[in-house]
Parts: sequence; structure tokens; C-alpha cells
Amino acid sequence: MERSVETRIAEVRAVALAARAVVDRRDELTAAIVESTGLSAAGVELALTRHLELDASDAELRRLVAQAGDASRVAVILSANVFVGALRAVAIARAASADVVVRPSRRDPTFARALVEAASDPAIRLDEGLDVARVEEGEIHVYGHDATIADIRARLRPNVRLVGHGSGMGVAWITRGADLAVSARGLAEDVVAFDQRGCLSPRIALVEEGTTRTSSRADAFAEALHGELERFGIEIPRGPLPAEERAASDRYVATMTYACRALVGTQHAIGIAPPGAPMVPCPAYRHVHVAACTTEDDALALLEPLARSIVAFGSDDEASARRLAPKWARVSALGRMQRPRLDGPVDLRGGAA
Amino acid sequence: MDLDRSSSLHARARAFVDAFERGEAAPDFDELACELARYQADHAPGFARLCRARGVEPSALSRAEDVPAVPTDAFKLTRVATFDEAVTQVTFRTSGTTVGARGAHAMRDASTYEAAALAFGRHWLARDFDRPVPVVVLGPSPAAAPDSSLGHMCASFVRAFGEAAPSEETWLVAGDVLDLGTFDARVATALAKGQPMLVLATSFALVHLLDAVGDATFELPAGSRVMQTGGFKGKSREVAADELRTELARIFAIDERSIVAEYGMTELSSQFYERTLFDPAARHGTYAEPPWARVVPVDPESLAPVPEGEVGIAKIVDLMNVDSAVAILTQDRVRRLPGTEGFELLGRAPGAPPRGCSIAIDELLGRA
Repeated sequence: MERSVETRIAEVRAVALAARAVVDRRDELTAAIVESTGLSAAGVELALTRHLELDASDAELRRLVAQAGDASRVAVILSANVFVGALRAVAIARAASADVVVRPSRRDPTFARALVEAASDPAIRLDEGLDVARVEEGEIHVYGHDATIADIRARLRPNVRLVGHGSGMGVAWITRGADLAVSARGLAEDVVAFDQRGCLSPRIALVEEGTTRTSSRADAFAEALHGELERFGIEIPRGPLPAEERAASDRYVATMTYACRALVGTQHAIGIAPPGAPMVPCPAYRHVHVAACTTEDDALALLEPLARSIVAFGSDDEASARRLAPKWARVSALGRMQRPRLDGPVDLRGGAA
Repeated sequence: MDLDRSSSLHARARAFVDAFERGEAAPDFDELACELARYQADHAPGFARLCRARGVEPSALSRAEDVPAVPTDAFKLTRVATFDEAVTQVTFRTSGTTVGARGAHAMRDASTYEAAALAFGRHWLARDFDRPVPVVVLGPSPAAAPDSSLGHMCASFVRAFGEAAPSEETWLVAGDVLDLGTFDARVATALAKGQPMLVLATSFALVHLLDAVGDATFELPAGSRVMQTGGFKGKSREVAADELRTELARIFAIDERSIVAEYGMTELSSQFYERTLFDPAARHGTYAEPPWARVVPVDPESLAPVPEGEVGIAKIVDLMNVDSAVAILTQDRVRRLPGTEGFELLGRAPGAPPRGCSIAIDELLGRA
């Protein structure tokens, strides 16, 4: 039977309400999520209380439903890093179909299990052993690394449609008119969420200098960000850094120390690029690559080679950001990059195949 | 810039090459490595910062292994040089990545690099040739890739080992397309004259050759050998080293031991070779170092040398990098085996693994 838009909105809202119920019993779940995600307990608390989209408006849900399309069945394959992303994934699937099966990430099944249980919706069920090769119809929504998506794509039956939400990153644009202290505070919030391991997480901050290619504002911004990230390191400690991430961090810091300057905090590092240098991306886990640019055009040129990877764009000036951001990127204020509206997928690059 | 000091250090570096060519003992490696580090700390502010960050006082250095290594990524971001741009003689650049960042290695005096490359190349590729031989390069010409260090080195080899000056018939790759017809003609001439050939080839060109020849053969004259270098870089399908070597040996009708891999990189001035052509005990995958360069497997996090037999990433101390960075930190995995000369090359360290939807650096750089 055809479901109306209003029915679908109501069903999605029920999923959001279920998420609220999960948040309410977070004391029971946090230890397991800490264990599986590698976030600190404070990081899990932050994710559940600040980065879960529980208050979507009707208009936002209407947009989500419109984007979700229609499928006889949707299988949702989840990834671990941004564990609260299960809400959006299940909501989109539920909007698209009255038959949803969810395979939680092996690395973090806790939140997704709790969400499906709390939803108590016969149209949504868990299948932790779901084999994508045995899905016979409908769509598979995959959230995760590009290699995972490619692997699943290769195993699909011909009449199954894959919608991939792959890896990406965020970029911050600090304009000439920005209050550097306020912008640094906002960006630090975006970096700290999920220990910067999400596809929206900002890894690069471009600072508009003025007509000459100096880096005085970039330096000042980096210093302010350094202070904010140091403060966050106490309030919301980073989870343990895996050995290979420690090596990547050390290599990045050494590179930036040689090339220009690195600010190394207790649980973060900031590299300041030499003026005019090409982009060399930094690792995740609270690292930010700060680069100075003269104008919007200069910023565009620097970002052009990375454009396909940019999923989110945060700025003190959203109008300016819209001129720079790839057309698919979500544009938001700094401090809101990790809190996208519940109005559709976070990754708008389009991954259907 | 201190040209006198630089020139003096170049002379001391070249003394290693001279001693090698005369079969004499090399000068003191650690002494020159530390002197180069002091010079570079004095004239490259980035290296001075790196020393401070590592807690290293250059004036107190006495061992090469203690010299802080400059990550190869630094060459993409800034000029790694002790001298003014105005006196640059040549700048080599790495092949690009998807983010457009190319590493650049500027040299003030390329003659030291050339002397070292020729001496060690001759030793492992051509020491038994009693006269010049036909040399072909299955790679782009210096005109097509003027900033390629590999092209520069191959040109030096053609001039040093070849029977003729470099010409249009020397460089057999144009626009990533292999000129099989000219190669065939060069081989026919060499066969008729009974001359062994030296084939200097990029890996991707060799794969194009495999694909073009198929099940047929492309017999080289007796005594010929092939230097294989570089990766595939998306220019051909990827073929495992063993498989590529076996197939090439069949097609060229030469012994697999005559296919010698070279390991080098734009950020270095020295190269390393498999020893299979002249050392019956040598294995493929194990590389010889010249007396002027050391490959030290280090822990990727602590950067301390790992115990013999364990895998680390390659920290390379290269005394020919007089005016750039005497110690380089690569992302290549290497191992030194007890009782074995040289080092095993085990491929590139994969970097921090991608997790979930957070993009990995390797993905951004298009090298995943």
C-alpha cells in the first residue's frame, strides 16, 4: 500500500522519538559505546546530547522524506565512528520503505540496537549477520569507508540499488570579518565531536588574510584554536589514540614544524602552512591544518583538488562559504558543522548506483 | 648561504664516491652526516626548528642515527634547501598526487648527485661491460619530463654506459605509450652485432610491454639486463613484483637475476639496487646501499631504530643530500635481516587505516 508523505513523516518522527528514549537511558549504554567507539565517556555524552538530531521540524522531515525516495525494502549497513548517525540512517530508510533491516557496525552495535529496540516498529528490524549478497530486492544504504562501499557494490545482485555514503571531511572558512576568538571556539566544537572522525569533521581551516599573502591572521587564529582545543581536551578528553594514528600525528607535526609551524597540544595538533603552499591534509583525531589565503578566489584554488572530498563547509560568513563550497557540501555556521538538520543524508554528493 | 662550506661538504661527500670507485675504505660516515646536519641547521630554518622540536642540539651530534629525519611530505610544502633560489642548478619534482601537491628537491650542485648515481649504478648494473652498450629507456625523455630525477639519472647512464649519445631512439615512452617498433629495431641491431643491452625501465612501461607482447617473446641479446624502477602510478594495471619479473624474463629470454630493481626517490640523491646480477647469493627484494647512504628501519612512532629482523619505516641518511636534508623519513616499510647485507623493501606503509566515514590521508592523496 502506498504510504502518504504525512504517514512517512510520522514514522520518521517516531524514530527520532525512539532516539530520545535511548538518550534518556544513556547511563546504561555509555560504557559499551566507549568500549566500541574509542571515544571517551565525555565524548559519548557530547555526541548523545549535542549531536543527535532530536528536534527536527516538520519542514525538515518533509525534506528528508522527499529525498529518501521509495523502495520495497532497505537494508542499512552502518559504520562505527559517528555512532549517532544510526538515527539519520534509519530515519531515511524508514522514510523510503516499510521494510527496513539494519546491520549495525560490528565495532559499535550498541546505539543502533538500542534505537531499533526503542522504536518498536515492526517495519524496522535488526539483522547483525545480514549478508548483502543475499539481499534480493530494494536498496542497500551503506555508511562507511569508500572501500567498504566498493566491496559491497561488487557483491550486489543486479536488481538491488546501492546508495553509498562514503568518506569525506569538512573545511572551515574564516573570513576577513571574522572574530577569531569566536570562530576558533566554534571550530573547536566541530573538531572535538566524535574526535574528528566523521565525514563532516573539519580538517582544514582557511583564513582570509587580506590582499597580501601573509599568515598573521592565520597565526592568530591557530593560536586561538590551540587554546580552545586545549580547554576541550580537559572537558571532553580525546579517546585513546591508536598506534598508527600516533605515528601519523607525529609525521604531520614534524612535517609542519619543518615547513612552517606546528602547535602541539595535550590532545591535539595544529599545523600552520607556509603562505601559498599546496594543501597537505592532516590526520583525524583533533588535528587541524590552518592555511592563509588572500581572497575567496585564492581559497577556491587551494581547495579545488580536494573538492570531491569536502562534505561540510563551516564559516563565520555562510554567504561567503556558499560561494566557495562545492555544490553538494552542507554549509553551516562554525560550531554547527557536526549538527546538521535531520533533513536528508549528511553526505549530499550522491552515491547511488 | 655559505657557498664555501657547502662546496667543502660536497667535496667530502664526493670523497665517498671516489673511495668506492677505487675500492678503498670509505671516510667516516657519522662524522660527515653530523657535519651536514649542523650545516643544514645553520642554513635551513625548518631543519633548525625540527632539531629543537626533537630536542636535538646539532653541535652535540655524533651519530648519524640521531640526526632528525625530515618527512618527505615537507618537500611538498616548502623548499627544503640551504641555499638561495637564485643559485639553484636543477629542481627535481615528484609525480603529482590528486591534491596537486608535488614534492620538489632543489640542488645547487648536481654533480655530486650524478657522480654517486653513476658509481653505484655502474657497480650493480654495468660493471662487467668492457665497452659501451646499446641503452634504451622505457620511460619518458628528459624533454618530456624535465623535472624527473629518474629521467636525469637515466640520461646520465645513457651517456656513461651507452654506445651512442641519447637520441630519439633512446627514450621509448611518449605520453605513456611505449614505442615498441623502435624498441624492436634497437634490439634487432644489437642482436645482429652481438651486443648486450641495458634496458632502463619504469614499471608501468614494462607492464605495457607485457600487455603488448602477450604470449610471444621479445628476445634480448645474451648478457642483456633490465633495471626496473618506480611504481605503476595509475598508468598501467598493477602487477606483483614476482609475476612481473617472471614474465619479463620469459619475454626477454634472460635470467630473472638479470632483472634488477632500483629503489630511489626524488627527495634523495642516492639509489639502492638489488644485487642479483653480480651476487649469486643475493635475493630479489633485498637492496644494497652505497657507502654514502644508510637505510635504517625505525619505529613509526618513536622513530627509534627497530631491532634487526623487525619491520620499520625507512629513515634514510643520505650523505649526497648536501644542500637539502641529510636524513629523510619515508613511508616505505623496510627490514634488515641478521647476517644479510642491505635491506628488504616491503612496500609502502599504508598510513593510518581508514575508519568509517572519516577520510584517510591516503585517499585524499589518491594513493590508497
